[in-house]
Amino acid sequence: MRAFLRDEFNTTKIGDNERKSVQGGSMRFTKKSLRRRTKSLSKQKQNNSDSTENNGLNRNLNENIQHVKDKTGNSDDIIVREIHIGQDGNLKAGVLFTEGLIDNVSNQNFILESLMVDIRKADLDTNDSYKQNPLQYFKDSVLTVGDIKDITDYDVLFASLLSGKVIFLLDGFAQGYAIGMKGGKDRGVPEATIENTVRGPKEAYTENLRTNTALLRRKIKDQNLWLESKKIGTVTKTDISIAYMNGIANDKVVDEVRERLDRIEIDSILETGYIEELIQDETYTPFPTIFHTERPDVTAGALLEGRIAIFVDGTPHALLVPALFIQFFQTADDYYQRADITTILRLLRFLGFFIALLAPSLYIAITTFHQEMLPTGLLISLAAQREGVPFPAFIEALMMEVTFEILREAGVRMPKAIGQAISIVGTLVIGTAAVEAGIVSAAMVIVVAITAISSFIISSFNIAISVRMLRFIFMALAASFGLFGIIIGLIALVLHLCSLRSFGVPYMSPFAPFIAEDQKDAFFRFPRWALLSRPRLISQKNVEREDSPKPRPKEQK
Amino acid sequence: MRRSLGLLIIPVLSLTLLSGCWNRIELNELAIMVAMGIDKSDDQYVVTAQVVNPGEVAAKSVGAGKTPVSTYQETGSTLLEAIRRVTTIAPRKLYGAHLRVLVIGEELAKEGIGKVLDLLSRDQELRTDYFIVVAKGTKAENILKVLTTLETIPANKLYASLETSEKAWAPTKTITLDELIADLVSKGIQPSITGVQIKGDQKTGESKKNVEQIEPDSLLQYKGISVFKGDKLIGWLSEKESKGFNYTQGKVNSTIVEVPCTEGSEKKVGIELIRTKANLNGTVQNGSPKGTVQIRAEGNVAEVQCKKLDLTKTKTIDQLEKKVEQDIKGTIEAAISKAQEEFEVDMFGFGEAIHRSNPDFWKKVKKDWNQQFVDMPVEVKVDMKIRRIGTIGNSPLNKIK
Repeated sequence: MRAFLRDEFNTTKIGDNERKSVQGGSMRFTKKSLRRRTKSLSKQKQNNSDSTENNGLNRNLNENIQHVKDKTGNSDDIIVREIHIGQDGNLKAGVLFTEGLIDNVSNQNFILESLMVDIRKADLDTNDSYKQNPLQYFKDSVLTVGDIKDITDYDVLFASLLSGKVIFLLDGFAQGYAIGMKGGKDRGVPEATIENTVRGPKEAYTENLRTNTALLRRKIKDQNLWLESKKIGTVTKTDISIAYMNGIANDKVVDEVRERLDRIEIDSILETGYIEELIQDETYTPFPTIFHTERPDVTAGALLEGRIAIFVDGTPHALLVPALFIQFFQTADDYYQRADITTILRLLRFLGFFIALLAPSLYIAITTFHQEMLPTGLLISLAAQREGVPFPAFIEALMMEVTFEILREAGVRMPKAIGQAISIVGTLVIGTAAVEAGIVSAAMVIVVAITAISSFIISSFNIAISVRMLRFIFMALAASFGLFGIIIGLIALVLHLCSLRSFGVPYMSPFAPFIAEDQKDAFFRFPRWALLSRPRLISQKNVEREDSPKPRPKEQK
Repeated sequence: MRRSLGLLIIPVLSLTLLSGCWNRIELNELAIMVAMGIDKSDDQYVVTAQVVNPGEVAAKSVGAGKTPVSTYQETGSTLLEAIRRVTTIAPRKLYGAHLRVLVIGEELAKEGIGKVLDLLSRDQELRTDYFIVVAKGTKAENILKVLTTLETIPANKLYASLETSEKAWAPTKTITLDELIADLVSKGIQPSITGVQIKGDQKTGESKKNVEQIEPDSLLQYKGISVFKGDKLIGWLSEKESKGFNYTQGKVNSTIVEVPCTEGSEKKVGIELIRTKANLNGTVQNGSPKGTVQIRAEGNVAEVQCKKLDLTKTKTIDQLEKKVEQDIKGTIEAAISKAQEEFEVDMFGFGEAIHRSNPDFWKKVKKDWNQQFVDMPVEVKVDMKIRRIGTIGNSPLNKIK
């Protein structure tokens, strides 16, 4: 029971909080309430299993249809078509499907037409196989479709019906068929919007799981690309796919992913974020330990390094595990552009990381504690700007940073059309007016601006968020202890980063632990012919990657 | 888990919040002292602080018409007392980390600067990278009250001017606190500090009018190097002697040497030295010390006033080199003889050189080294090479009739 409780911890917490706030009682998270919650969850499960006890299909077609109608509350997108088959039409059959989830044209052509038109031409009475088993005959000879599965109970019937399959039931048989005929509207393959590249493919994932896995298959045409699927979410029954390269991915990590996914007990999975929060190694960290991408090429690159991708139906993203700190500074373009500029750009991103993290706090620390560190000219110039500013540097910085965060959040949430108005208000009114009114110094506006721009240079939005949060902690440390506080903060940060693991792989590798051969693709990116091996800790078994010689002119004789 | 987390949060929060910004000072609470003058009146130190008026100095200043700096003056029997007493007249506490120049009044220098230097090197706020100068023939406070052009902050003018004139003109030298103290405590060398004087009327220099005209009425000028015995000032070297002194110290980066075209001629050739290297040695011969100064110099012909000089001939160049060598040698010997005959102190560091080459002998003589130095023969060797003659060959004067 205890172990179960712990597993349930993450799942139940959200719902529990909600319930508590409804009750308006004590907000403290107690074991008691947890237990109560768990009980109700298992009761819910019992309800589900109650229905499964007696859920075999009925021999009577009408009863079956009535059952379906009852259970779906007569929802009018569930189409039930009762038909009569055969020359004399004495064989009753039912075709059930959900409108909008299936491909209407195919349904018309290959199921309804076969059953209602083509079969009239056949002489059923003299057909032996028909006589022996009519149901089997339909499967073997009538239904001109590829994906067809037997169903014998209502659970499977509903799951199939509601995930876009056509159900074929025949009167007199406690069995039916689920015919794969998925269709309906989806968005098509869109262009990448978040992870932009200068060079390289433009396609990105869409909300359709099969489209996504197909995009991946197109990149890796190898039988060792294995896909495993499961359904998660007691209510949503969301399709989840795990993709990995058999023989490259570490089996233990694959097992670990499976195990963690199996542990999930939740009503709904609506986005990859649900999965991410439920399977990550460490909850209490500002740093992401799972990478997500919208690009099939990034996914393919990660799989070939031995990582594992998790697709969730309905979201245009794939999760990649294990994720390392350095991975958040690598972009797809890094591998498409030349090695030299890539190395420089990566170093620039790290510079941006440190500026975004430390610029305001360094400004505060130096101008309020360590004025002797500034060159005299700069000190006088800064002092002149601060002349008449009524707030301490820390409050000044805090005001500007909070203002910027408000603008940024507003920019994200606003309807796109108003976004421009926000930027005008932000830059003109807040920036210029605040300086002219003498509330903040011009130097502080510069610091906040460079901080903001630097946080955008970091390729991954995820790690930029961590930096945004930590920046305020560093500012507080700088305001109370100066550079000393910043150094202590940095030490604590490094210790924390080194303690993190992502699916068993040290987060800070290849720096801590230091792996010399993996430095080729960390701070630097070596030329392609020098990227000989896969990252050591991720794959572990199949490390050899290429044997291309360094390109050079043919030797003259 | 929750309990230990709570226990951890309490000390962390109380440490950060309760200790609260100890030692914190905002930029606009600082009185940035860029120059400090120290004089003595009776038994009291008079401290003059030149403080920047940031609003007036900054690039985009609105310019309320105030002076870029203000001076505050207070007295006290110790230096720190005087500095702290300034708070009674200034709105902010003096901040000394950005001190550029320390000016010592000549009177105080004659009485001894040792006591003053203790605070300056003991206090952790002051750095040791500022230059020390002596106010020649005036009080330090007067020097700090002259407004300057180009560099609006007079302290910056003093700092920059000393740095450039040392590099390009030679008869001045920069000295920082640590160097000065090292010279003071050493028996083998006596300190020497560049002097600064007011050129023009001192009173008009104090008002803003001084910088509003094309030719300021009053200017700050470096003039000569002062000679110390122990921590007391005993005299001044002339410009030529100061230059000679700097040759021996290897501190001449670039300077101009003028030599006559021919013997006894009034017309001159100007040679620009571009590089000098000095080797100051002390040896012991037959129980008595002997000093040698070796100078290696390189230069270019910079200016020719005479018609007949044929610069295309190597012979002419050789002759010019000889003359320059003579000139440099004369300058150095003038400085040495002045030190030996008039001041009777070793300001060159021959004592240190002997200490290095012959420590046993040094132990015997270090107590009365200055007397030993007075009688010590000093050999000066100069080796000079002319590298280039500029962008024209012979002077166009040749063709002017």
